[in-house]
Amino acid sequence: MARIDDEMLVCRCEEVTVGEIREAIAQGAFDVVGVKRRTRAGMGLCQGKTCEKMVQQILCQELGVGPDQVGSTSVRPPVRPVSYGALAEGVF
Amino acid sequence: MKSYDIIVIGGGMMGTACAYYLTQEGLKVAIVERGDIAGGTVSHTDGYIGASEKQPGVDSMQGAASMKLYDEMRKTFDYDFEFSENENGDPIGFVYFCDSEFEFEKAKEQVAKNQALGIEQYAVDPYILQQLEPNCAKDLTGGMWVPKDGAVCPFRVAFGFVEEAKKTGLLDVYTRTEVLDIKQDPATKAVLGVVTDKGEFAAPKVVNAAGCWAPFIGAMVGLEVPIEPRFGQLTVSEKTGKITQNRLALEYGYYLTKFFQDGERPISPLVKAFNVCLNITSDVTGNTVVGGCRLFRGFSIKSEYKIMQAVAQRGIRYYPMLKDFNCIRAFAGIRPFCLDHLPIVSDVEEVPGFYMACGHEGDGITLGPITGKLISQYATGKPLEFELAPELAWARWHDKDIPAMKAREEENTKALKAVEEEVIRSLSK
Repeated sequence: MARIDDEMLVCRCEEVTVGEIREAIAQGAFDVVGVKRRTRAGMGLCQGKTCEKMVQQILCQELGVGPDQVGSTSVRPPVRPVSYGALAEGVF
Repeated sequence: MKSYDIIVIGGGMMGTACAYYLTQEGLKVAIVERGDIAGGTVSHTDGYIGASEKQPGVDSMQGAASMKLYDEMRKTFDYDFEFSENENGDPIGFVYFCDSEFEFEKAKEQVAKNQALGIEQYAVDPYILQQLEPNCAKDLTGGMWVPKDGAVCPFRVAFGFVEEAKKTGLLDVYTRTEVLDIKQDPATKAVLGVVTDKGEFAAPKVVNAAGCWAPFIGAMVGLEVPIEPRFGQLTVSEKTGKITQNRLALEYGYYLTKFFQDGERPISPLVKAFNVCLNITSDVTGNTVVGGCRLFRGFSIKSEYKIMQAVAQRGIRYYPMLKDFNCIRAFAGIRPFCLDHLPIVSDVEEVPGFYMACGHEGDGITLGPITGKLISQYATGKPLEFELAPELAWARWHDKDIPAMKAREEENTKALKAVEEEVIRSLSK
C-alpha cells in the first residue's frame, strides 16, 4: 500500500495530520490512547468517531503490528454530546 | 545486563520529573513503566498548578518552589506543555468562590497565613469578583484571588520532561515493562537493581515514583507505604471559548473538603453524597473542563452518571451560562492520597539507595518539578531546594501506626458510602 502523505488531515475536530501522528509514534506512542494524548487526535467534538480507525491503521503500518495490538480509546460517557442543563436535571 | 546510575519506577508526573532532573545532574537514568508514559493519574486530571490549594507551611512552600521551576521550564523547554499565560506573559491566576460567610471567613484566614509566608493571595469582595470573573453567579459572598497560580496540560508536562531529558543522551525509557521485584543486598538491604517482565536492570539507586501503585513497589523492599487511591471525576465541554475569563476558578469548598469539613455548604443531597466541589477552567484548547469530586472507589476509574449530574449542578450554580453548553466527555482518575496529606519525597534510611517520590494526592501536577528536583538533590547529596523540605521525608512515618490509620480511613469510607447509597435510594423513590 502506498505511504500516506504526511500532510493529510486525520482528526478533523482537532486538526491533527498523519505526520504529527507519525512523530508521536516515533516519540514512543504504541497505541491509540498514546497517540491521542500526544497529538489530541480523538479529543474533539466527535470523540474519535471519525478518526480512530485511521489512527489504528497508521499505528499498524508504522509499527508493523495487527489491529489487536494498538487498542482503542477508553469507553466514556456521554454517548453523544448533551447539555449541562440536561445533565443537571438528570435527563438520561 | 544493562546498568544505570538510577532507575525510576513509574513514568507519570513524578517519574518523568525525577528522570529529567537526574539527567541534568549527569546521571544515567532508566524509566521503567508498566504502561505508557503519562498513562495513569497524570492523564486523568486537570492542569491546575499553584501554591494556593495547599495548607500554609511546607505544603504551600513546596508549591511556591515548584512554580519557580515551572517558570524556568516554560522558558527553556522546546516541548510545548501549554502553560497558560495572560497578555503580559504571567500565569493566569486562580479565583476561588465563597458561597457563605463561613467560607469567606475561612478564606480570609488562609490569605493571612499565606501572605505571612510571602505567597501572594487576596480576599476579594463580590464587586471585585465580578471584575475578575464576569460570567460567574451574581449572588456570591466573596472570593479569593491568587494572581500567580496557573495551568498546564498535565500529560504534556510529562511528555516534555521525557523529550527534554532524552536530549542529554542519558535517558532510556522502558514502557510496557512491569517491575516484579527489587534486588537488595541481603546484608545491608541496599538496592542492587530491578527485576522486570522484560529482564533485569542493575542500579545502586531506585526511585519509587509509582503514585497510587507506590505501596506495591514499597512492599518489594519491605516498606508499608501509607497511600490510597482517591477517586475524582471531570467532564469536558465542547469548544466554548472563555467561560472562565482566562482564569481558573474553584469553589472554596474544594479546598475545605480536601483538608477539613466543608461547614455545611448549601448544596443538593446529590452534590453532598458524591462530595462534589466545582473546579472549572476554559483552557487554551477552547474546551472547558468542569469537575470534580473526592471519593474512595478502590482502583476503579469508571465514569459515573450520578457524579456527572452533580458536577453539572455545581457548575451551573457558579456559571449559569454553562447549562446551554454541551458536555462531550466525562473521565475519572485516582489520586495517590497519602494519609497525612503530604507527599513522601526523600531517601529511605533503612533501605540504602531507595528513594520515595509519591503520595501527592491532587497536587502532583503542581509538585512534579520540585519533587524531581529534590530527588536529584537527595541522589547527588546536594543541598535541598528549600528549608522545610525535610518535613516531606519518609522518616516521618517511622513512629506511626500505619495499619491502624488505614483501618480508620476504611471505616470512614464505609460510612460515606452508606450516606451515598441512602441518598441514591431516596432520590429513586
